[in-house]
Amino acid sequence: MQIQLSWEDPVTGEMRQPVFNIPVALGREIGQMPASIDGQQVSRAVFRSEEISRFHALIALVGGQMSIADRSANGTFLNGQKIVGATKPIASGDTIQIGPYSLAIGLLAAVAEPTKVLAPESTIIFNPNTNVLNSQQVQAQQNAAPLPTISFNPDTDALQTQIPQIPQTPHTLTAFPPPEIFAGDRVSVQELRATGKQVEETTYVGIGGGMGTFVWVDTIRTCGVPREQIAVISLETKPYGRYQRLCRNSQIPPHERIRSGSDSCPDNIWGWPGYALRESATKLASGEIGSGLKHLWQVFSEPVFADTYTPQAQNVFASMDREAKRIGWDEMLHYGRVRGIRKTDDGRYAIAYSVPTPNSSSEHRYLLAKYIHLATGYPAIRFLPDLQEYRAKTGDFKSVVNAYEEHEHVYKQLASQGGIVIVRGRGIVASRILQRLNEIRQQNNQINIINLMQSPKPQGNKFGFAQRYVENQWEFQPYNWPKGTWGGDMRAILEAASPQGRYEMLTALGGTTTASRQDWRTIVKTGIQAGWYTIKFGKVERVEREAGKLITYIKSGNYEGIEKIKADFIIDSTGLEAKPKDNPLLDDLITHYNLLLNPFGRLHVANDFEIVEMRNDKARIYAAGVMTLGGPYAPVDTFLGLQYAAHRSAEGLARAKAPKIRHLEGIGSLWQWLKWATNQSP
Amino acid sequence: MTPTLFGRWQTRIFLLATVGVIASLPFYLGYLGTQYNTIYFWVLFYVGILGLGWDVLYNFLQQFMWDRDWPGVFQFFAAIVEAVFLGSTIKIFGLPYIQQEYFKIPTFILHYSLVWVSVYLSSWVMMRLLFPRWRFRGGQWVGKWPKSTH
Repeated sequence: MQIQLSWEDPVTGEMRQPVFNIPVALGREIGQMPASIDGQQVSRAVFRSEEISRFHALIALVGGQMSIADRSANGTFLNGQKIVGATKPIASGDTIQIGPYSLAIGLLAAVAEPTKVLAPESTIIFNPNTNVLNSQQVQAQQNAAPLPTISFNPDTDALQTQIPQIPQTPHTLTAFPPPEIFAGDRVSVQELRATGKQVEETTYVGIGGGMGTFVWVDTIRTCGVPREQIAVISLETKPYGRYQRLCRNSQIPPHERIRSGSDSCPDNIWGWPGYALRESATKLASGEIGSGLKHLWQVFSEPVFADTYTPQAQNVFASMDREAKRIGWDEMLHYGRVRGIRKTDDGRYAIAYSVPTPNSSSEHRYLLAKYIHLATGYPAIRFLPDLQEYRAKTGDFKSVVNAYEEHEHVYKQLASQGGIVIVRGRGIVASRILQRLNEIRQQNNQINIINLMQSPKPQGNKFGFAQRYVENQWEFQPYNWPKGTWGGDMRAILEAASPQGRYEMLTALGGTTTASRQDWRTIVKTGIQAGWYTIKFGKVERVEREAGKLITYIKSGNYEGIEKIKADFIIDSTGLEAKPKDNPLLDDLITHYNLLLNPFGRLHVANDFEIVEMRNDKARIYAAGVMTLGGPYAPVDTFLGLQYAAHRSAEGLARAKAPKIRHLEGIGSLWQWLKWATNQSP
Repeated sequence: MTPTLFGRWQTRIFLLATVGVIASLPFYLGYLGTQYNTIYFWVLFYVGILGLGWDVLYNFLQQFMWDRDWPGVFQFFAAIVEAVFLGSTIKIFGLPYIQQEYFKIPTFILHYSLVWVSVYLSSWVMMRLLFPRWRFRGGQWVGKWPKSTH
């Protein structure tokens, strides 16, 4: 008899689905779990969390019935019911929660000779010497991870949807950069020049061109680097281009508020004045005393006595436009897509990039530089496997959509005809979709919403003395990580920890949830009371199209057999994908230079965000953003996290005596702020 | 603000020694309260010294909040508690270098409030503008980042 445990990684949201032979011991330390019971070999699954006991629970056959026996200090939740020290029967479709992990159970028929049991340690494999993963190991570990079906077109940055059965377009369409030149560890500058392609030179290069690049360029400009020594390679004319598109699709129109703090200002490295103060000043100046004071009260008393202040998307974009002009963004911008990066034989880097030109093949160029910043952002959008399968099978891209895709037609049809919508996910994106559906319901009350979640959430995550608040199965925190990870003691603890310690801490904190916004909580409450909003749990088996409706087949612990849910639309609101290997440029770097990856499979960076293996004499490469998740800093993909990474790498550059850059402190810092305030070039 | 204990201490000492002293000058010079009396600076000194202990308590209480932050409204409550404690200690038991006959409660309240407001606003504005790293380090404005060990 075998059992499959499936869970979403609490931090990255990736699916893990290892299969074990029965009996299975669950716990924190492999040495504390029995290797055999009654002569039977025990599979041991390790879950690293302080909330989990060294030997937490045992899944075994008791009198012919599959059961779970709790042996822990904190207890085990079975379908939301707490069991302590007891044995309970389990069946397929049940969920058990231990510490921050929520595991769905699938019983598999007996296999005569189980040859392929996945490593129980599929959560982590460490390099015994460095305690850091290297890329080959991760590759072996990332078993059966489906390709994302929605990605960003490498030449236009537009979202593209692909049917998984059609093989992905190879990312290197032509042989550029020439393989023979880029084959070695270092390329010869002479050889590059001999290719006859244009070879430019500069000192600093920002690759990505989105929020992360903008914040970094803004920081080094403020620290003294002149515009002429910086190049940015990007496919976007506006640094917030991609961000804005994703906002719009996931129901954040310009006037809506984004989940970001008042002083997380991509346009201002000091974080003062924050967006709350600016918005208040504008409101007060136009005579709106009440709402002007409200935002000041929010930043004074959040999150205890007021909802957390968050800025309007349009205000953030407008402030970035002003800053872009001030630092000369357009002058630094090179339109293009980076195809490859190599160390050069003269202590620099060669960046091969192509400039897509309409109606003809791309133009190819090289750029030589000494300092590179990589911030390429999310490589793709996550799409639930059963929904991918449905799309591939039916070619129906209209009724099953991803929240990050353009999907206005869903709301249009619902407004005119009503219907049933299944929302998958319980994070911030799901909240926003729910808000929009609630708005549509004001026009047509014949809309019913089913929120499908994998498992109940009986209690919030715990960290130290604190616990996250849960209401109606929704778990709340103001931002995607606790604020203490921004700059407080949690940041210091995380930075000081080993890669494994970071893994445990981040798992305990448990990644993103939704925010406690009064309006969202009211929608959920009234929806449940009035019956038009229902929460269901279970593991989706498959989605079919029958008689013009979508049928979702789920296995749930509360029902015998399989339940069918009928709907008109399914909106996948589970989030963005962040594996560096999904990005062709990073994939090439990781493979070519055998870069280290952290236990989450993201790029391993030093505390100042340098990719140390890429150092070439004095030349350095820094990274920022979601590709560094699981490293020295938790909220890496937030505005503040990007500012933090930019700050740390700018300090690193100043320490390394990189040209024209200096530590920003004291009077010099104040002077630069005055230039910001009066809109003078830094 | 999400302070660390060292950050609380460093910020408290720096701001009392700069902004706190400036805010006490009108009292020392006699525009407010008793003229040319060093009592105001001694009050500042005790706010700082006792504060080092208070900060340990706040840092502990902060652990009970999921976000481990310390919103302005908590700083405000904490200031009231500290003021009541300090004021009554001086009035009832007395503290060295503070002559009881010159210690007047209304003046103390005025002085303490002015200092607190200046320090609070400066922590929002001045610390950030002078020390960009201050907010990333839980209020620590001196000292290096720990060495990268991994």
